[in-house]
Amino acid sequence: MTDVVRVEELYKTYDGGVTALDGVTAGFAAGSFTAVMGPSGSGKSTLLQCAAGLDRPTGGRVFLDGHELTATKDTAMTKFRRGRVGFVFQDYNLLPSLTVLQNVVLPLRLAGRRADLAAARAALAQLDLADRTDELPERLSGGQRQRAAVARALVTRPAVIFADEPTGALDLGSAREVLTLLREVVHQHGRTVVMVTHDPVAAAYADSVLFLADGRLAGSLSAPTADAVAERLAHLGDRARAAA
Amino acid sequence: MIAVALRNLRHRPGGFIATFLSAFLGAVLLMAFASLIDTASGVDAASNESLITTAGVGGGWCLVIVAFAVTSTLTLAVRRREEQIALLRRVGATGQQLRRMIVGEAVAVALIASAAAVPVGFVLGRLLVSLMKDTGQVAAAVDAAFGPIALGVGFGVTLLGSLVAGIATARRTAAPVGTKRARPLLRRIGAGLFLLTGANCAVLTATVMDGKGIDAMQTAGQAGIWASIGLALLAPELLRLVTAVLGPAVRLFGAAGELALRPQPSAVMPVLLFTGIATGTVYMQGIEDRASSGEVQAAYARDIQTLNYVVVGMIALFVAIMLVNMLIAATTHRRREFAQQRLAGATRGQVIAMVALEGALVTVTGVLGGAVASLFTVLPFGSARAGQVWPDASPLAFAVVAAIAVALTGSALVQTTRRALRGPATAAVRA
Ligand SMILES: Nc1ncnc2c1ncn2[C@@H]1O[C@H](COP(=O)(O)OP(=O)(O)OP(=O)(O)O)[C@@H](O)[C@H]1O
Ligand SMILES: [Mg+2]
Repeated sequence: MTDVVRVEELYKTYDGGVTALDGVTAGFAAGSFTAVMGPSGSGKSTLLQCAAGLDRPTGGRVFLDGHELTATKDTAMTKFRRGRVGFVFQDYNLLPSLTVLQNVVLPLRLAGRRADLAAARAALAQLDLADRTDELPERLSGGQRQRAAVARALVTRPAVIFADEPTGALDLGSAREVLTLLREVVHQHGRTVVMVTHDPVAAAYADSVLFLADGRLAGSLSAPTADAVAERLAHLGDRARAAA
Repeated sequence: MIAVALRNLRHRPGGFIATFLSAFLGAVLLMAFASLIDTASGVDAASNESLITTAGVGGGWCLVIVAFAVTSTLTLAVRRREEQIALLRRVGATGQQLRRMIVGEAVAVALIASAAAVPVGFVLGRLLVSLMKDTGQVAAAVDAAFGPIALGVGFGVTLLGSLVAGIATARRTAAPVGTKRARPLLRRIGAGLFLLTGANCAVLTATVMDGKGIDAMQTAGQAGIWASIGLALLAPELLRLVTAVLGPAVRLFGAAGELALRPQPSAVMPVLLFTGIATGTVYMQGIEDRASSGEVQAAYARDIQTLNYVVVGMIALFVAIMLVNMLIAATTHRRREFAQQRLAGATRGQVIAMVALEGALVTVTGVLGGAVASLFTVLPFGSARAGQVWPDASPLAFAVVAAIAVALTGSALVQTTRRALRGPATAAVRA
């Protein structure tokens, strides 16, 4: 299998001098569902944002769908990203002034592509949002907003979808819906999903788990179960505390 | 809550700059004109009359504009902090406490602004007096004074205006969630009253003041100002109209155009006031100049001409600064919105294009509205002074006024948007 996303020797130091990524090399195969886990502050969000082209690493290279993202300029990076990457945020980031449907087709419109409204409506109907398409996001529950955000991430048929704690603000039921949705995206539609989560149960929906500690890779686990993940996390926590 | 208010001022002074500047400029103008009354005590009768008239006319205009400006910037400054207010409410602040906080901030800013205005108002007052000496309106022996009236009016009006504006804003903002409703009816009634007053002044100019020569300027000038304020209050409706008409053209710009179709009406007001008052006064003076050429000019006609240009210049400057303030405040407030658009895939260029298109809609609305308002001055004055409703003046002056409005709006918008777009969107969206 080829890697859709590949990061090589990724370093990221923030303005304040915090090193969030300290030489991370990893690949995410086409059609895989990977969970990224680690203690708070270990650099998970930073890794995702650099890999998705939302932020620039201080050092290292990012390859997306065969192109080197780190070699392009800002505007070119945005244009490249919006066609090939979907991103789901913990706090949804839907535009408050646009309806659900307008939010979903926004990436297409921004890319200057024709928005197939019927298809977008159908996609929203599949996510049980058929009767909410013309509402503003503020009128939706958290779970509904996050499903709308997933629909937006899928609308451009991206090669890879990054999700940063997509279930962090959701109740158990809504979380399960969103996770099932992400798994379907991988297993039925052959897309690639990389998801950050703190929840071992959520991680168990993935095919494999990548552990991060202090900005470095700290092992992986394939065919994860919630128990196995929880145990590894506990060890990581111990080690991090011991190192500190 | 007063403690929280003062802490807010100290920790986030940037949020109060717009309010401070408009209160400061307002206080400067008020003090300068009021100091003419200080100067007027104990001088010869002719000088006294000139000084009092100038103070009344100039100060009166400033009063209206200042009240308007302080209210609107304060509303904007409070609205920017809706999140903070919601947060305070969630941790248990009562509406009463929030009101006290907002009013406390408003009064503190007004006090500081008035104090800072004293030296500038002093200098400007002197400048006005020496200007009036140059034109012979005031005897050369008169000494410019800056006393209790200047200070009283400057501090008093600025404080009172801020207090009233603060209370009005606090009422609306601190009301419990869900009961917060914009009150378009009240605004529209207000607009109607201002427009009626403007129309009344216009009719008076064309009838009672007909043949009264330069004296018709007083009512004609007022007509335009009232009409400008009335139309400015209708900004949301006018903007919706313009957006509906120009919508198809704006859509041609793709996604940026579609996103631009919900422009905020707040910036329409200063553009409209600026265009309306500047155009009205310049053309009115133009009609006067043509009508009086060849006549033996009354001694005070030249003074009025000077005064007209001084007043229009100051009001224009004031409104221009208000416009830039308002745009900067409004655009900075949208940092998060811009970041979300970028996260959804918008390039920086697309965001700037969207803001520019919004700015175009706002400017077109303001300039058209201002042009209509200026007719309240120009048409009746033309009829009264020159017996000719439509002046045979070149449209060049209007073009210059419109160009200034466009340049101000455009540069302020693009600059602030650029700044709001700096850095990665992921950081901006969390801020
Ligand atoms: N914009 C920023 N400016 C400065 N430092 C930052 C910024 N964003 C993150 N950091 C720092 O970088 C480190 C990694 O942050 P990151 O957000 O990637 O962690 P995380 O693993 O996602 O944590 P969490 O699980 O709490 O979301 C942290 O020490 C954090 O303080
Ligand atoms: Mg994170």
